[in-house]
Amino acid sequence: MDLVIRIAGEAGQGVVSAGDMLVNAFAKLDLYVFTYRSYMSRIRGGLNWYDIRISDRPLSGMRGGSDILFALTDDALTVLYPVNSTAGVVFYNTSAALQTKPGLHNIDFAKESGHSRMINSYAVGIVFGLLGMSKNRLAAAIKREFTDKAEDIIQQNNEAAARGWERCKTCGASFKLEQRHGRTPDFLISGAGAIGLSAARSGVKFVASYPMTPATATFTYLAGAADKYNIVVEQAEDEIAAVNMICGAAYAGVPSLAATSGGGFALMCEGLSLAGMTENPIVILIAMRPGPATGLPTRTAQEDLRFALHAGHGEFPRAIYAPGNVEQCYQLTRTALETAHKYQTPVIILTDQYLQDSIQNIEPLEAAYDPIDRRVELKPKSDYKRYAYSVDGVSPRALPGGGALVVCDSDEHSEAGHLTEDFEFRVAQQNKRMRKLEGMKAEALPPTLYGAKKPEKLLVCWGSTYGICREAVDKLNSCNQKFAMLHFSQLWPLDASRLKKYFNADCEVFVLEGNFTGQFASMLKEQNIVQECKLITRYDGLPFQLEYIIEELEEYDN
Amino acid sequence: MIIEFANTTPAWCPGCGDYSILDTLKTVFEKAHYDPHKFVLVSGIGQAAKLPHYMDINVFNGLHGRALPAATGIKIANHQLEVIITSGDGDMYGEGGNHLLHAIRRNIGVKAFVHNNQVYGLTKGQASPTSDPGFVTPIQNHGVKASPVNPLCLAIIEECTFVARSFSGDKEHLAAMMKAAIEHKHGFALLDILQPCVSFNHHNTFAWYKERVRKIPASHDPNDKMQALELAMQWGDEIPIGIFYKSKRKSFEEANEVLQKGPLVKHYLS
Repeated sequence: MDLVIRIAGEAGQGVVSAGDMLVNAFAKLDLYVFTYRSYMSRIRGGLNWYDIRISDRPLSGMRGGSDILFALTDDALTVLYPVNSTAGVVFYNTSAALQTKPGLHNIDFAKESGHSRMINSYAVGIVFGLLGMSKNRLAAAIKREFTDKAEDIIQQNNEAAARGWERCKTCGASFKLEQRHGRTPDFLISGAGAIGLSAARSGVKFVASYPMTPATATFTYLAGAADKYNIVVEQAEDEIAAVNMICGAAYAGVPSLAATSGGGFALMCEGLSLAGMTENPIVILIAMRPGPATGLPTRTAQEDLRFALHAGHGEFPRAIYAPGNVEQCYQLTRTALETAHKYQTPVIILTDQYLQDSIQNIEPLEAAYDPIDRRVELKPKSDYKRYAYSVDGVSPRALPGGGALVVCDSDEHSEAGHLTEDFEFRVAQQNKRMRKLEGMKAEALPPTLYGAKKPEKLLVCWGSTYGICREAVDKLNSCNQKFAMLHFSQLWPLDASRLKKYFNADCEVFVLEGNFTGQFASMLKEQNIVQECKLITRYDGLPFQLEYIIEELEEYDN
Repeated sequence: MIIEFANTTPAWCPGCGDYSILDTLKTVFEKAHYDPHKFVLVSGIGQAAKLPHYMDINVFNGLHGRALPAATGIKIANHQLEVIITSGDGDMYGEGGNHLLHAIRRNIGVKAFVHNNQVYGLTKGQASPTSDPGFVTPIQNHGVKASPVNPLCLAIIEECTFVARSFSGDKEHLAAMMKAAIEHKHGFALLDILQPCVSFNHHNTFAWYKERVRKIPASHDPNDKMQALELAMQWGDEIPIGIFYKSKRKSFEEANEVLQKGPLVKHYLS
């Protein structure tokens, strides 16, 4: 079973609450759930939709089209009906005279549900009815959802849901709910939340950010976790302040993080360079959205990889991670913190709106507090020097308030940290800093190879396209093709000597990424890892879908 | 404890007001027996911002204009540290002006000593946010047209918990103001320090300041906001120095629920 339910309407119409109710209900029914939210940059009106994909098999991404569409406005129907590619059922709420087609049902949602505030419960009732689930289960789901509400509210929503459940019987459609035998994890979390949880348990105690979609979800998660994990979460006056604050806190010994998107990161560039020069461990989350400038604030993209790689004046080592799914968001946030502290240098995590906002039910993530090793020198020697030369480029890091005085400078400096214009010191310190890159390169995470043993075609991807590329490979291989996926979750540093083996002359290479220019493809070429490749790009603000990938690949065959 | 001075020669011009500020700060540390391990001197970029290098103390010499957010991060990470900023008027009122607005609002327990010489020294003589109208520079070559920032009025209006001004030419007064700012326990302190620039400001000279500064009379009540504002608006023939205003608010550290449980940096074993 593979079913997509799409609820579409204006902001403020209950699209999100209806979607959330269904997600919670399905997760409790031992089904796998994957969601994607598409929303406009506005508080009221517009066209937003919430896709909920459910299956009895684990899901790793979203597919195109929908089987059950709720179109709560004219726009929702006009825009989304044509793309409703599968022969599904549509419930629309419009006065527009629409030629009656099979599967199209005109409903006055506000009237039939009893109140415009109860459209969500009514829609949930319809879905339960269509899937052949009992009224008792529906009542249980409603009760769970409104558990903290007054009895009369629960009652009214129950009635609205029951009306929806009855209404679907007259629509002539039904879907078979194939239930799994066995437990499905009911731990629901988004990419944004998984990053927040991982940061909190790994010992991040200071978070400074300026709100910016789609990074705000992580910022909000951490604010919610602040009391439990003893984190100070500060809304900075701007992103410049945010990055300088976390540099200060890192200097004083507290693992710190800032969350932003491309535009905010643009303001952080000087601070990123500061962390590189002062050798302070900071982690910055860039949740990408389409640019340039304000671009499409609430949509998804992979346009800031080159920016993350080159941001900041001067040269300094950095690592860039790009988690592929919710679990990797959790794992790699800790890895990012560990790398930042091991090498005393800034680390960037790249996600995007799609991954930030996608909710999945997965095996519960460990939430117990287990801070990373900050690798600080708690008993510094009497002749302590913050920037002492070393073989691997890493100097012992003492903290102010400890046994030694710690001098840290944004100017070029001596081993002791005092500013200097001495050319020999300059070269020695720059060499020391850049030496760290060798260790970081050796520790870089290898890409994940998935699919055919001896592939004829290799689909290279990075970040949030992991799940959908896996699905594409499965689909293509089921049609007697020989595809493999090579997914990168660490994008810098790249170790050409270890990566060349994945590419050989008789295997055609496609690089898939959510930008116009093929940023990662050009990095692979620059590093002499790949000679020739074809691009599959998407930059309309929407995530890659299975159908899109297969069509693009077919284009190359024609 | 006796401070051992860093083996670094100041890069300032002979006669610069920065020398008196440095000497005075060292004297304050010596007399009060402050432990330099418990202090961090934070600065941005500029001539004044080099001061931390000339003391044996913890130093965070950050970016131009960004001393305040860096100091805020340090104070939040370990609020048992005393965090003092020594930076210039360009750094604190120009490039970092937005941070000043919000540091005062936040009432973070950081003490900002602003070396205010009304000119940009390190970049060689351009106007600063506090330059007097008409001041001619190689850039503002028809004279400064913009109205100067009044940092003290701004701080008073924003309910800053400690607002003072001193003059580098009166070391005794400066020492008293520095000590009062350091001992201030309830949040952000702004100490504006008038200071001549011998190389680039031939208008606001040592003598110019010397004949104009007037100590605020002991009768002034620093809790009286309107009186403080009136004093802070005086500039020209008479320039008041002393403590203008003290607003009664909780500091960021006192108000933050998480910090009430102890310094963040103490949550780690390794």
